[in-house]
Amino acid sequence: MSDYGDSDYEEMSMGGDEGGYSDDEGFAYSDQEEGVASPVAKSSKKTFIVLDSEELRERLKAAVVQVVDLLCISDAEATRALRFYKWDLTKLQEDWFTDPDAVRQKVGLLDEQPSTRRKEETCKICFESYPVADMASARCKHYYCKDCWSGYVQTAIDSGPSCLDLRCPDPECKAAVPRTVIMAVADAAHKKRYEEFAVRSFVDDQRQLSWCPAPDCQHAVVSLSDRLGVAQDIFCRCGNAFCFNCKEEAHRPVDCETVRKWMIKNSAESENLNWILANTKPCPKCTRPIEKNQGCMHMTCSQCRHEFCWLCQGPWAEHGERTGGFYNCNRFKKAVEKGEVDEQEQKRQHARQSLERYMHYWQRWAENDSSRKKALQQVDKFRGEQQEVLSERTATPTSQLKFIVDAWMQVVHCRRILKWTYATAYYTFEETSGATKEYRERMAQHQEFFEFNQGQAEHYLEKLHHKVEKDLSRFLKAKPQPGAEGDGAGGSGEAGPSGSGDAGPSGSRDQQAAWNTFREQLIGLTDVTRIHFEKLVNEFEKGLDEALKEYDAPMEDEDPGASAAAEAAAAAEAAAAAAAAAKGKAAAAPSRRVTRSSKRRQSSQDDPETTALEEETGFWQCRHCTYANDLGDKVCSVCEQPRDATGGR
Amino acid sequence: MASKRISKELQDLQKDPPTSCSAGPAGDDLFHWQATIMGPGDSPYSGGVFFVTIHFPPDYPFKPPKVQFQTKVYHPNINSQGSICLDILKEQWSPALTISKVLLSICSLLTDPNPDDPLVPEIAHIYKTDRSRYEETAREWTRKFAMG
Repeated sequence: MSDYGDSDYEEMSMGGDEGGYSDDEGFAYSDQEEGVASPVAKSSKKTFIVLDSEELRERLKAAVVQVVDLLCISDAEATRALRFYKWDLTKLQEDWFTDPDAVRQKVGLLDEQPSTRRKEETCKICFESYPVADMASARCKHYYCKDCWSGYVQTAIDSGPSCLDLRCPDPECKAAVPRTVIMAVADAAHKKRYEEFAVRSFVDDQRQLSWCPAPDCQHAVVSLSDRLGVAQDIFCRCGNAFCFNCKEEAHRPVDCETVRKWMIKNSAESENLNWILANTKPCPKCTRPIEKNQGCMHMTCSQCRHEFCWLCQGPWAEHGERTGGFYNCNRFKKAVEKGEVDEQEQKRQHARQSLERYMHYWQRWAENDSSRKKALQQVDKFRGEQQEVLSERTATPTSQLKFIVDAWMQVVHCRRILKWTYATAYYTFEETSGATKEYRERMAQHQEFFEFNQGQAEHYLEKLHHKVEKDLSRFLKAKPQPGAEGDGAGGSGEAGPSGSGDAGPSGSRDQQAAWNTFREQLIGLTDVTRIHFEKLVNEFEKGLDEALKEYDAPMEDEDPGASAAAEAAAAAEAAAAAAAAAKGKAAAAPSRRVTRSSKRRQSSQDDPETTALEEETGFWQCRHCTYANDLGDKVCSVCEQPRDATGGR
Repeated sequence: MASKRISKELQDLQKDPPTSCSAGPAGDDLFHWQATIMGPGDSPYSGGVFFVTIHFPPDYPFKPPKVQFQTKVYHPNINSQGSICLDILKEQWSPALTISKVLLSICSLLTDPNPDDPLVPEIAHIYKTDRSRYEETAREWTRKFAMG
């Protein structure tokens, strides 16, 4: 260290306030804009805050400053004390005001005057003599020279985060090396590492803080949840969604334990399954998977000795010369032999069934996962190039294309939720032997109810996904709109989901209209899908028993005109239908609403067919978002588009 | 830095040698020492002379020296390779420690083994369950390998 003047030494040995945390800021977590970044939960209160490294440092500083103010100690001392107390300010404060000396002793905050006031001291590391002014101590009586200090400190920093707990080199001395000494003796690279360790400790030592587990992401998250230790979905600014508790990918409404079990099961089985599916055929007799590892088509099952043809899977007896048959495996035959089902066979079937059951859920889980990943790629693609193209072709500023990103993000989010509902369903509705009849009936009811809701949510998600993927591509393919609105030339005949086939003078206007319709529909669908998934998640978290009970209870009469009831109405609508489904009644129509206000109808439609249909079903379907509204409602309860404008069927 | 400090230590050792041990460079290399430890009188190693090699790392004294027995020792914390399980040679090392202090620590380890943190679990088990058998074997090994 070249800039190691006398004055620095004064500071060091005094454990001074130089270069420390001195920002004038409160410790309490200040409000940030984050916490509700979830594409699903738009309205609820925020449950977490994402911090970048700058904000994190600010918080660390603020925490130190608060201790400095409260306990009247130096910055360096406060930092050490906080680190020792794992940043638990309350505990530190409590202990400090009970017995400050005990805390000082424990943490190593000594205040020993040097034993001698001699001009020279021997450095206890290199055994050379130096003027005391050129030496430093950790506020204890052991003085070392600057070279030895920097060797000591840098070696400690190289060996990892334990350097934050560095003590005086003397083996008997417990004095904590203050941050000021470290900053004075370490070189720039080591200082930087030390600061990084400090920030890392700030996050790692506190239960309510966590790093975003995405690779290369520098953000940390503060959980504001009062229920630490249970699953909490976090949406980092980097786009990663993870569970605060288990650091796996976000998995609401499924609990961490189920996710853990599922992931273990997958890693153990999916590879096997994939291999079996790709490389084997089941023996036509005993259904055991068989791998063909030699060239001939004449197979003999090693288990049941059944001889068959690999190509047609028919018995070999009908092939080959020995039996007088001939090679005729081009024929297609369904050979189902119902022989005796012995015990062994039953076991085999059972094993197969359970494998099939697992495969059913796994395939859906995996499909949704890959769908989600593809959707994520689409978002990137859209942000990257398509946005510009679309902006040009539809004469819409890019700032107004955010609804497409929103729709994509909704798809990503819902795919993830959906995926996890399959994992949880695998465990929740597992066949348990020895269960009572009532229990089994209840579980069957639960399953039916759950699958209905899942199906509903999935139905809307598919619609949304289709719209944002397929319908959008039409606009991307469309020819650019030439100039201002109303300009006659151009306009692709294909433009728009409404499918107006005519090109020509009115093409451009049609295209514009189609674009507007698409926009409204997509926004509406995004909303509806969000609501359905929120419901699915909420019900699941509430417990299916509870959810079912609520739907069995008679509904309160609600004012259908009330605009605030959008979400409640959506929930109630599906709820009624779901309850019906769970009770075994037919509920084929995805959005049938059991309503008591169908008498209060309003005749705004001239189309007799539509009116008749509405009379019969008791609802009108919004053209934007397809939501089934009460006939009494003038605007759609979900997307708030007026009925007249949308046509409403 | 390292060679200067090692020279200093050597000077100190020559000026004021500890009672039960001696140490110095094995050849021309200042970073490679040989030391001898006298078996402590109140231990089964009494009467034995134990040879120890010491290697100083280039960043000595900020990193601990590597110390190894050359003489075979029957001890719960010293294995057949001569490696020593001693905290101050590992995570408890401090640059304020010296070779002289390390050798003294090894002496006291010979007197008081630490069977709860053993390097050779079998010897530690015998030490804990059948002390006289341990002492007998240790004495025998000392006679066999550390005398004459």
